[in-house]
Amino acid sequence: MTETVLQIPISLEIPIGPQHPALHEPVMLKVYADGEEVVKVEINTGYNHRGVEKLFEMNSFYKGVFISARICGICNTVHANVYVRGIEQLLGLEPSPRAKYLRVLAMELERIHSHMIINAIMAEILGFDTLFMLIMRDRELVMKAKEILTGGRVIAEYYMPGGVRRDIDDVKKDRILDILKKIRPRLEYYKKLFEIDPTITNRLVDVGVLKPRDITLHSLVGPTARGSGVKTDVRAEDRYEVYGEIPWNVITRNEGDSLARMLVRWDEAIESLNMCEYILTHLPGGQAVVDERKLPRVLPLGEAFTRVEAPRGELTYYIIGGGRDRPYRVKVRTPSFHNIINSGFSYLGYSIADVPVILVSYDPCISCMERAILIKDGEKKYISLRDIVNMKRVR
Amino acid sequence: MSLWSEILKNVFKKPVTIEYPKVETPIEKDFRGLQYADLNKCNGCSLCAIECPSKAIEMRKLPEDIKLKHNPRGLYPVINYPSCVFCYRCVTICPVNAYITTNEYRLATETEKLLSDTLSLQTLKSGGA
Repeated sequence: MTETVLQIPISLEIPIGPQHPALHEPVMLKVYADGEEVVKVEINTGYNHRGVEKLFEMNSFYKGVFISARICGICNTVHANVYVRGIEQLLGLEPSPRAKYLRVLAMELERIHSHMIINAIMAEILGFDTLFMLIMRDRELVMKAKEILTGGRVIAEYYMPGGVRRDIDDVKKDRILDILKKIRPRLEYYKKLFEIDPTITNRLVDVGVLKPRDITLHSLVGPTARGSGVKTDVRAEDRYEVYGEIPWNVITRNEGDSLARMLVRWDEAIESLNMCEYILTHLPGGQAVVDERKLPRVLPLGEAFTRVEAPRGELTYYIIGGGRDRPYRVKVRTPSFHNIINSGFSYLGYSIADVPVILVSYDPCISCMERAILIKDGEKKYISLRDIVNMKRVR
Repeated sequence: MSLWSEILKNVFKKPVTIEYPKVETPIEKDFRGLQYADLNKCNGCSLCAIECPSKAIEMRKLPEDIKLKHNPRGLYPVINYPSCVFCYRCVTICPVNAYITTNEYRLATETEKLLSDTLSLQTLKSGGA
């Protein structure tokens, strides 16, 4: 008798997330693996749902400027910018050229530090913690520049319909330029390191390859699309604010793997640095700060659709004005929404160890992606702050 | 080209971290820090409390022994700092520019920094109504 060997395919279900040391965001990837090979990935989201879109409808549209900045910490200026431009469309306001330049400066500084942090996280995911520390150290310089410009290290609160909320003088301008001079060699060094260092390239080259067809089929956006040779950038397509006046290039790479996506981010960071230097040296004169006391109080009937190139890709806002002091509806569509939910196909065929690497190469931002819910206090008892203060003062 | 040269350089450098309580964190003068109302200017219009995005400002009645001519309603804003998001909307919306801004960011330890009432009432003593 001949022996027959039966091969039964065993697929193992591995939940990665929502709390997992390899993931920095609350997203759950249910990975089905056959041995080491990934055969199916289910992406479960909904762990960070906060009800922000409902909050927009319940608050006046000026409060919305600050609420929109809270959707995402790392890309708060782009959220505020796209919301404010929508409001400006409805109100018929036009900011001064100086205000537009300053707006772009804040957004580009944010792009630099956002791209630096995701590259640092990538280094950490690879087990290269030294590089993580070094990139985060140099990222502090950009945070300082942002603090000088906007008055806040992370949350800028820089935008208001009709202009910006604070101006810079020559002293601040020189200080930011000095900081940018220090950042440039660091960015170039890290970019070279990502290209050459075998610790990085061995893990990233030919991992998570996306063909241009995959990009258009699954509507992926931002550096993920540009890493696969799809030349899409809202800054170039819409030419909003002053992107039409500043000289800059859309960065694309044709490899389509994880390394290409990270290198696109380094190149974009250097491109943003050039833009920041151009803005600071060519800053037009005039009034930039808007007097918030003289702005209109009613959002007229109408619709506005605005989009912006966030560090992660295309971000769109759709605002309906209802003739009241608050918008009727605000719809937010963020880049991570496309890049994470639609990208389940790209993990197939790679090993389990590659899953976090591929996810991080898409630059996930789950707090951007999930927005709404207002929790009402049930039967909780609250002690007023005054009582706490008095209690401590008695001691 | 590797990280070795960079690492060796860093071995002989001072640490980049700041020993915080001993050394002060370098902070900008116009950093958006703790803000409070100057009662010599405030007229109690309540606009800041209405406009606050985080509902951190409550209008309180002035203590009974204080009567201010420019403040007929007898109200003054008290900011609840743990709720405050330091967006400075109250500062920019104030019709009489009554808010005093500081770059104070250390709000964790002192109970005086939970509410802005003591800071605001102090302005009356120093400035004189």
